[in-house]
Amino acid sequence: MKVVGARLPRYDGVGHVTGQTQYVDDVRVQGMLWAKALRSPVHHAKITHLDTAKAEAMSGVHAVVTWRDVPLLEYGHLSALGIPADEPLLAKDTVRYMGQPIALVAADDEDTAQAAVNAIEVKFEELPTLFDVRNAFDEGAPKIHQWGNWYPHFEGDMDRRQIRKGNIEDAFDRADKIISGVYRPAAIEHVPLETQVSLVVPEPDGRLTIYSCTQALYFSLAVVAAHLEVPMNRIKIVGGTVGGGFGGKVDTATETLTALAAMKANRPVKWRWTREEEFLVSSTRAPWHMEIIDAVTEDGWILGRKMLTLHDSGAYARFSPYGLTKHSFHHTGAYTIPNLHFDGYVVFTNRTPTTAMRGFGVTSISFAVETHLSRIADELGLDPYEVRLKNANRINDTSPNRIRYTDPSSVEVIQALSEAAGGELAPAYAGATRAPREGEMLPEHLIGQLKTEGH
Amino acid sequence: MNIVLNGVTVAIKSPPLASLLTVLREELNVTSTKVGCEQGGCGACTALVNGKPQRTCLTPIAAVDGASVTTVEGLGDSDHLTAVQQSFVNHYAAQCGFCTPAMIIAATAYLEGNGSSDREEIEEALKGHTCRCTGYQKIVSAVAAAVAETTFDLTVTTPSPNTVIKSGGQT
Amino acid sequence: MSVDVLIPETTDAAVEAFGDGTDITVIAGGTIVMQLLNYRRITVSKAMLLNKAGLSYLRQSDSTWTVGAMTPLSDLLGMFSPLGACAANVADHEVQYQATIGGNLCAPTPPEHPSGDLQGPLIALGATVRSVGAGGERTDGVEEFLASRAGRLVLDISFETPQAGAFAALDRPHTRHFTALAVSGVKSGDTVRLAATGVGPVGVRLLSAEAAAGDPEAAGNAALADAVLRDDALASAWYRERTLPSLVARVLNEIKEAS
Repeated sequence: MKVVGARLPRYDGVGHVTGQTQYVDDVRVQGMLWAKALRSPVHHAKITHLDTAKAEAMSGVHAVVTWRDVPLLEYGHLSALGIPADEPLLAKDTVRYMGQPIALVAADDEDTAQAAVNAIEVKFEELPTLFDVRNAFDEGAPKIHQWGNWYPHFEGDMDRRQIRKGNIEDAFDRADKIISGVYRPAAIEHVPLETQVSLVVPEPDGRLTIYSCTQALYFSLAVVAAHLEVPMNRIKIVGGTVGGGFGGKVDTATETLTALAAMKANRPVKWRWTREEEFLVSSTRAPWHMEIIDAVTEDGWILGRKMLTLHDSGAYARFSPYGLTKHSFHHTGAYTIPNLHFDGYVVFTNRTPTTAMRGFGVTSISFAVETHLSRIADELGLDPYEVRLKNANRINDTSPNRIRYTDPSSVEVIQALSEAAGGELAPAYAGATRAPREGEMLPEHLIGQLKTEGH
Repeated sequence: MNIVLNGVTVAIKSPPLASLLTVLREELNVTSTKVGCEQGGCGACTALVNGKPQRTCLTPIAAVDGASVTTVEGLGDSDHLTAVQQSFVNHYAAQCGFCTPAMIIAATAYLEGNGSSDREEIEEALKGHTCRCTGYQKIVSAVAAAVAETTFDLTVTTPSPNTVIKSGGQT
Repeated sequence: MSVDVLIPETTDAAVEAFGDGTDITVIAGGTIVMQLLNYRRITVSKAMLLNKAGLSYLRQSDSTWTVGAMTPLSDLLGMFSPLGACAANVADHEVQYQATIGGNLCAPTPPEHPSGDLQGPLIALGATVRSVGAGGERTDGVEEFLASRAGRLVLDISFETPQAGAFAALDRPHTRHFTALAVSGVKSGDTVRLAATGVGPVGVRLLSAEAAAGDPEAAGNAALADAVLRDDALASAWYRERTLPSLVARVLNEIKEAS
């Protein structure tokens, strides 16, 4: 065991401190062009006119790509799982968020590319906008997505992610108190120091070499191949060194469009987003709207939870249905609640499409659950650590999606937190373990759970 | 126009208002200075200009005609790291590494200016540099250790880029 | 897209090249213009770099200071409050080496944010600005200069050592090229001059607050009458409205203690 517990140098440490580590933007190829995008200046509009003739005629411009150049215009991030696609690679007749790409220009340098973008004639007929998920269900709310204002393609053609467990009505009937809270964490930008960038080199044998900052290389390979309608063996993606991602580089943001421009120009093309594009257009962590209503007893047991989640997906679905699913599985947090009624919707708005970020779908619910646990303790006048330890997951408890916990760490973590915060637990809680429930830690409502789960 | 880049005088052909960052990267192929924001806000493009750290993205090349410019390529190479570079390796002060060359430039200027190992002073010296990965603690520790010339107990004390780390099962 | 770039080697040559300022982009430290060029927000046909024009100097004669337009902020760091404290609060060390006092006075007002942090202390100090342009050389108070700065080339800025001064700004989670809200105060004789940045398109003198300066709390509230508060990416108008009074009060209390 020479390695376990040893302090080993990072394999890439010396490269980092000498500037030798090569990121996508550091790759050098001959004859490379620079790309710039025409993006929607409005949040929601019909495109009534798009004419690239003047841009194409400009000296130094080698390719202008619009929706007409894309073999398969719509391919969803979850298409490989059989989920329908909703987002065009380039806007065709409608733009649904500010910054949505409409055209990409490849030119000798960035100045020329930007001048050509400015020369593209485009006209819009603006449409009503929707920015707040809470208004999406209103009668008369603007219709902002071709599928309606919320995602309709969960399994069994359900329009929501739904969890039903135990007997929720009975739990609320037996409650001493009903405690509710609304939690709304905001969108967060990942802010990698390296902005979105790719470099695509058309090779003499007809293949494409794509240098990409992607966090999900094989995923990007499939997405690019699908849009281009070419077999995957025509594409070689070179990744590996990412200048910060944090989930924001899971989406295939630049590779496909850069590839189309490189193919059309038959020259290497690099598309590197500005910091402003990174902030305004790159996907963010979703803003969430979460409503929790808990049925609790006076001594701090949570008998049941009703919950509504509105996940702001932005203008297109991307990974949001997956994020909401993870969210739903975690909606009791580190705690065991036997009776559940959860409805979650992926709601479309005219905001930048949202995506994965560290703990996709789960940080939002963790924030809401922990805040709510403190609220419960506060309203009941109980110690917040003790309320947590009571309800904390133990061996043989079950998750919202009926997974039996065999190795839960909730009890130890909460005890460590209490100690770190300088608190003193009552002996019964200081000595609590994750062992299967018995005695005072096995109240009637949880006996019921074990029965219904068959343990 | 010319600059003295890492000790070597080089002629510059770029237009006079091209940024020093663009000249370094696109004309001279010096890629350790990174394009992070082009607004002077992230710090990743920092190089030493006549010995002082400066944002290359905010510097028109004509304004530094004849100046001495030092990037991390001019400090040490893989076999001869400077104390700051070695300390960054030893203290795991780089994660994705994108901000690292400029951090090392700023830290080098701090040491040259007789900076102390006080953590608050180090934070103040590096305040213009953004790192999204490390949370800064290891960077500050690395600079403090470089100031104090303390070493750090690494199993492999002279790492090379070719070091192969075998998995636990194989050793 | 060729650009005519002038690099005058004397102040006289710079003044002559500037003329009446028509169609010429002046680059002092570069920290403002280069951002605009990098983002292709401006096109420049003729530019003048001032780095060799002999405009970087800091002169003291008795209690009178004269600061050349090209003096970098890093040279002001050790000066009395509010000027030194404000310079130290601008961005970071690298930008302070580059950014100049003249460039700061001429900082354009972008669509959202007021910029040019030094305008606050210079208004509070009652500084005067010597500039050239159409009609020749002119010396104005800072507020007059800010109201008529188009087509002017700043040569230098003069002010007196204050009896006492103070500076207070909103804390920043990270360094920024300008501050969301900052207040400067200067005492001379029986009067206190107050100014703020972040409450209008350029630095603003807080006359109503000055009139109530004897009572810091009342002066803080009075300052709202001098401010035009807006939302921008750094702070909302709501937040500025609630923090301006306390910054004003803090500055007045510090001046009281110092004198």
